[in-house]
Amino acid sequence: MSALLTDALRARIGERAVYTAPEPLGRAAIRYYAVAVGDDNPLYTDRSYARDHGYEDVIAPPTLLAETNQYVLGCPDGDGYLGHSWHLDVPHTRAVRGGNAYEFGKPAGPDTIVTATWTITDMTERTTSRGVPMLIVTSEARYTDQHGELLLTNVETLIHTALGGER
Amino acid sequence: MTGADIAVGAAVPHLERTITLTDMVAYAGATWDWHRMHYDPDFLTAKGFPGPVVDGQVFGALLAEQLQDWLGPRAVLRTLDFRFKNLVFAGETVRCTAQVTAVEPDPDGDGELVTVASTVEVIGPDGEALRTAVTPAGATVAVRR
Repeated sequence: MSALLTDALRARIGERAVYTAPEPLGRAAIRYYAVAVGDDNPLYTDRSYARDHGYEDVIAPPTLLAETNQYVLGCPDGDGYLGHSWHLDVPHTRAVRGGNAYEFGKPAGPDTIVTATWTITDMTERTTSRGVPMLIVTSEARYTDQHGELLLTNVETLIHTALGGER
Repeated sequence: MTGADIAVGAAVPHLERTITLTDMVAYAGATWDWHRMHYDPDFLTAKGFPGPVVDGQVFGALLAEQLQDWLGPRAVLRTLDFRFKNLVFAGETVRCTAQVTAVEPDPDGDGELVTVASTVEVIGPDGEALRTAVTPAGATVAVRR
C-alpha cells in the first residue's frame, strides 16, 4: 500500500514539458560558466585553440546545459528559483536531489539554441533504512539544438521523504 | 597530460576546490538559478541550514573538469553520473578523487573508452576527509588517438 504515491501522482508519469531558449547560448554564457566553476580549459574560451583540436568554435563545458536555466522564459519564483519544476504535491515531505546521470551528445557552442524536453519517467515508493516512506521521482531531460541534434540526456532523481516518518 | 598512466587502477590526479560564497554567487548567475538557499541568511536560518548550501550540480562540473584536465583536449566525456550523500556549505573545501576501472577500445570511435569511479569528499584544513558529498559517481571518457 502506498503512503505517498497516490493515484493522482501516478497519473502524472509520462507528463512532458518543453522549453526552447529564446536566444543562442552565446559566447559570454559559456565563458561566464567556465569562470564561475573555475575551469580554465581553453576549449571553452579560445576559438583558435578549439579549432586546433577539431571543433568549429569554442564549446560549452559538458555540464553547462544540464545546469543552466537559460532556456526557461519567465521570472524567478519567491525563493529565487527559475528552473523547471513539476510542482508535485507530495504533502508532509521534504524534497532533496538524489543525483544526476548525463549522456553527452554533440557539444553545444555559442550558436546553439537549446530545446529541453523534460519527462516524468518513473515514480517509485520505498522506505528508508529507518522505515520512513520516500517517493523517488525520476525525470529525463533531453537537450537538442535547433537542428534536432541530441546534445545531452540528463536523468535526474528527486527524493521526497516523509517528515517525522509519518504523513 | 601524457596519457601514459591510462590503465586500470590508475589514480586520476585529485582536484581540490574551496567553494566560497563568492563562487556560489557567480555560479548562481552563470546557471540562472538564484535560489535563496545558496546565499540568503534569512532563508537559511528559517529552514535550519547552518550556512549557504552549495548547488550539488557544481560537483558534476568539477568531476568533468578533473577528467578533462587529466586527459586533455583529445578527451570527450561520454557519460557522467553522481549521487548526493551530504550537503556542502559555503567556505568548505572538496576533494574529487577518481580511479580508472576499465580501458577498452571505443566502439564508437578510433581511440579508447576510459571508465572511472569517482568520489567527492569534504576535507578539513589538513586534508582529512570530514564527510562524503558525492558517491557513487562515475564517468566514461572517449580518448581519441
